[in-house]
Amino acid sequence: MAQQATLAGPGGGASAGATPVAGAGAIRLPLYLAIVAQLALVLLLFRQYQIESGAFLRLAVLAFAGFAVHALLPLAWRLPFFLLLSVAGIFVAIDVANALWLIGCGLVLIGVAHLPAPFRVRVGLLVALGAALALMRARVVEGPMPEAIWPILGSMFMFRLITYMYDLRHEQAPPSPARTLSYFFLLPNVCFPLFPVVDFRTFRRSHYDDDAYRVYQLGIDWMVRGVIHLLAYRFVYYHLTLAPAEVVDPATLSQYLVSNFLLYLRVSGLFHLIIGMLCLFGFRLPETHNRYLLASSFTDFWRRINIYWKDFMQKVFYYPALFRLRRLGTTAAMVVATLFVFVLTWFLHAWQWFWLRGTTLLVAQDVLFWTFLGALVVVNALYEVRHGRRRRLGGGQTPREYAGLVARRYATFWAIAVLWSFWTSESIADWLALWPALRGPWSASALLYPAVVLAVIALGSVERGGVRNVKGAAQTPGEALRVRAVTVASMVALIVVGVESVHTRLGTEIATTVHSLRSGRLSRLDSAKLERGYYESLLSVDRFNSQLWEVYSKRPANWLDTQHAQLKRFTGDFAQVELIPSFVSNSNYGTISTNRWGMRDRDYALAPPPGTFRIALLGPSNVMGWGVGDGETFEALLEERLNASRPPGATAVEILNFAVPGYQPMQQVVAADKAARFDPDALYYVATGRELARNAAYLIELVRKGREIPYPALRAVADEARLDADLEESEASRRLQPFRERLLAWTYGEIVATARRAGARPVLLFLPQARAGSWQDEVAQQNAIAREAGFEVISLQGVYDGHDIETLRVAEWDEHPNRLAHRLIAERLHAALAGAPALVGRAQPAAASPPSGGR
Amino acid sequence: MTDAIQSAVKEFIMTEFLPGEDPDELTPTTPLVTGGILDSIATMKLVLFMEERYGVRLEAHETDPEHLDTLVDIAALIRAKRG
Repeated sequence: MAQQATLAGPGGGASAGATPVAGAGAIRLPLYLAIVAQLALVLLLFRQYQIESGAFLRLAVLAFAGFAVHALLPLAWRLPFFLLLSVAGIFVAIDVANALWLIGCGLVLIGVAHLPAPFRVRVGLLVALGAALALMRARVVEGPMPEAIWPILGSMFMFRLITYMYDLRHEQAPPSPARTLSYFFLLPNVCFPLFPVVDFRTFRRSHYDDDAYRVYQLGIDWMVRGVIHLLAYRFVYYHLTLAPAEVVDPATLSQYLVSNFLLYLRVSGLFHLIIGMLCLFGFRLPETHNRYLLASSFTDFWRRINIYWKDFMQKVFYYPALFRLRRLGTTAAMVVATLFVFVLTWFLHAWQWFWLRGTTLLVAQDVLFWTFLGALVVVNALYEVRHGRRRRLGGGQTPREYAGLVARRYATFWAIAVLWSFWTSESIADWLALWPALRGPWSASALLYPAVVLAVIALGSVERGGVRNVKGAAQTPGEALRVRAVTVASMVALIVVGVESVHTRLGTEIATTVHSLRSGRLSRLDSAKLERGYYESLLSVDRFNSQLWEVYSKRPANWLDTQHAQLKRFTGDFAQVELIPSFVSNSNYGTISTNRWGMRDRDYALAPPPGTFRIALLGPSNVMGWGVGDGETFEALLEERLNASRPPGATAVEILNFAVPGYQPMQQVVAADKAARFDPDALYYVATGRELARNAAYLIELVRKGREIPYPALRAVADEARLDADLEESEASRRLQPFRERLLAWTYGEIVATARRAGARPVLLFLPQARAGSWQDEVAQQNAIAREAGFEVISLQGVYDGHDIETLRVAEWDEHPNRLAHRLIAERLHAALAGAPALVGRAQPAAASPPSGGR
Repeated sequence: MTDAIQSAVKEFIMTEFLPGEDPDELTPTTPLVTGGILDSIATMKLVLFMEERYGVRLEAHETDPEHLDTLVDIAALIRAKRG
C-alpha cells in the first residue's frame, strides 16, 4: 500500500555509483505538493528581492518547473532529464551562439578526457588544450570563441576537470555519459562564474542517498538561507561599508573591519542558492559555509568557510602530499602538506581570476594573506595535534564550556576580520594607514560593533548539539517540523515585508532600508570606483566577493575607452589632457569626431557670427557624449531644437561642447579659459554629482604625480593638508577631507570669474547620473557652493523619472547616458530654458542684469 | 550482530576524538567525515591506527567520505584491504 502512495519509486534501479536507499527517489503526494508550494514561495522571494540577474530568475523558473517533472520520473530517467534541463538552462541564460560555443568547447574537453589512450597521455593532451585555451583567454592568440563564454567555461572546467580526472584515475568503472555531462554542465552554473568546486565522487555518491523529500526540503532550506545571506550582504554593502579614507576613529575602524568581512556573505549566499538548487534534483551535497562567522579557531575557519574548496584541496593535493611525505614523520608531513595547500590555494586563486577576468592577479596582499592564513592554520593544527580538539556527538554544554567557546569565537572573528581587511586593501600602505584611527577620539559608538558581534556570537554559540549531515532516519519529526516552520515563516515574512504597501507603513527609516534591499545595485563606494574607472583607469576590482568585480567581468575587453581610441592627448598643463582636434573614430555606438578646436561638436568659427547667442558648455564624459554617436548628444539635440523653435526675429543659438571625458571639476578651470577665447554669451558648467569628492581627488592626483600647481590657493591647501607625493591615496583623502568645500568653492569661483571676464553668464546645470544609488549625497552642498560662487543653478533633477534606469545607460558596466537618456536631457533642458529665456538670449536683458543678449 | 572491526574502530574514535561523549550516540551510520568529527588531522590518525592494527596500507584517494564516512564504510574498507 505504501508503494501506491508514492509518486515515483525505484523504477529502473538506483543511480549507478550512488548509495541506494530503500525506495530511493520516491515521495508521497502531499509531500511533493508541499515542496512545489514552497518552491512557488521561493520564486516569489527571488522576484520580490530581484535576487541576482534576470537570467537567474528565468533559470530558477526552469529549474523549479523541471523539478515538478523530474520528481515524478522513474529514477533511471532522472539523471538524463537533469542533463537535458542543464543544457536547456544554458540556452535560457545566454544567447544561442554563446551557448553552442560553450557546449562545444566543453564536449571537446570531456571527449579528450575519455580518449582511448593511457591516462598520462590524456592528461598531457588536456594540459596542452588548456594551454591553448589560456593563450586565447589572454588574447595572446586570437581564437574564434566569443568573449562572453570564458568566465562560464572557466568556472565549469578549471577545477572540476582536475577532480574529475583524479577520480577517473581511481574509479573501477567509468561513469555514464549522462552523469559526466551533468557534472560539467551543472544546471545553475551558467549564471554563476563563482561556483563551488563540486567533487565528482560526492556528486555521484550523494545522488538520492537519502529520503527524497528530505533532500528536496534541504534544498529549499538552503536556498532560503542563501537569500537571507544575500539580503544581509546588501544591507552591509549599501549601508555599512566605508572607504579607507572614512576611517578616522575607533568606531569607524571597527565598522570598517566588520563590514568588510561581512561582504563575504555574498559568496556564501550564492553558494547556498546553488547547492540548494542541486538538492532539488537529488544531489545531497555537503552543506556549504557552515556557520563560518562562528569559527572558533583558524583551522575551524578553514574547515567551515568554503567546504567545497577545502574538500577539493584536501582530496587532490593535501592527502596525496601527506601520504608521499609520511617518511618525514606524520607531524612534519602535515606541516609541509598544509603549507603546500596554501601556496596552491594562492596560485589557484590567481588561476581562477585569470579564467574569469582574462588577466593575471599578482598582488602582494594576496600572497601575504594566504601566507599568514597558512601559517596560522599550521600553528593551530599543531596545537590540535598535541592537545586535541573538542568534538561533540550531542548533549548540553556547561556554562564554562559555553563561555570558553564564545571567547574563542569572538577572538577568531576579529582576527579574521583584521586579516580580511589586509587581503582586501588596495595596498599594504593603505591598510597600514587604517590603524592610526585607533588614536582618534574614543566614544561610546566605538563599542557598537564589538557589542553587536559579541551578541551574535553569544546567541549563535548556544549549543544545538548533534552531528551534521545526519540522514533522515536520525532526525526526529519534531526537529524536521521546526526547520520547516522556520523556513516557511522566513519566506512569508520576507515576502510580506518586501511588499511596498506593507513596508511603507513601518516608518520612513525601515521602509527606506527594505526598499534598498529589494534590488541589486552598486554601493556608493563601488559606484565611485566604477566612475573612477573612466577617470583614472585605476581599477582595483580584484576581489572575488566584490559586486563591482561582477559588473566588470561582463565588460568586453575591447569595450571602447578613451585610451584605446586615443581620443585625448597629453598637454602638460594643469588639465593634463585635452581632446585631439579633427579626430574621427568609430565606436560601438556610432562615430566620435572632434572639430578643429578639439570639441566633440560640429565646426564653429572662433568668433561668433552676428546675431548669434553663443553658449560654451563644459562638463565631463556624459556631456561630451560618451556612449552616443555624433549628433546624438543632448548638446547637439538641444541646439537643434532651440534653433528649430526660434521665434521670428530671435537670435540663433550656438552651443559649443567643450566637455572632455575624465575631466574633474578642477580641470574645468582650464576648459573655461579655453571657452572664453570663443567669446561666449553664457557659460554652462554641467555638474553631475560627487563634485566635492572628485574635485579634491584631482588635487591629490596632481600632488602624487608631482605636477606643478600654478594656483597659489591650491598650493596653500595642499600645504595645509600636508599632502605629498609619497602619501597613500586614502591617507591623502583623509587629510583633505576638511578642505573639500573650500576647494570646490575655489574651483567654482574661478569658472565664474572666467565667465564674467568673458562677458558670459555663468550657469551651473545639475545633471543627475544614470544610476541608482547614493551618488546624490553631495548635491545639495555642491549646489549651495555653486550659488555662493555666483552661478545661476538649473537642476535637472528628475530628468529620468518614469523610466527604468537600466534602459537609460550604455551598459551595465558603463553608466553613461545612452541615446534615450540624451534625448530626455535635451527635452528637459529645453523646457527649463523656456522658463529662463535670458539664458539663451531670447529676452532683452534688464538694465541691471549682467550681459546676456545675443549680438 | 556487532562487527569486531567496527567495534575496534569505534573504540579508537571514542577514545581519541570523542572523550567524554556517550558511545551510544556514535552509531554505525553516524557521518564521521561529512559530520565534522573526522577532520584531516583525525583522519590521518585514524589511517595510522587502521594500518597498524590491521596491517593494511591505505592510499591517499581512500581517505574520502566514500571510504571513511561511517563505521560501516571503514569496516568495509578494512575488510576489502585484507582481502
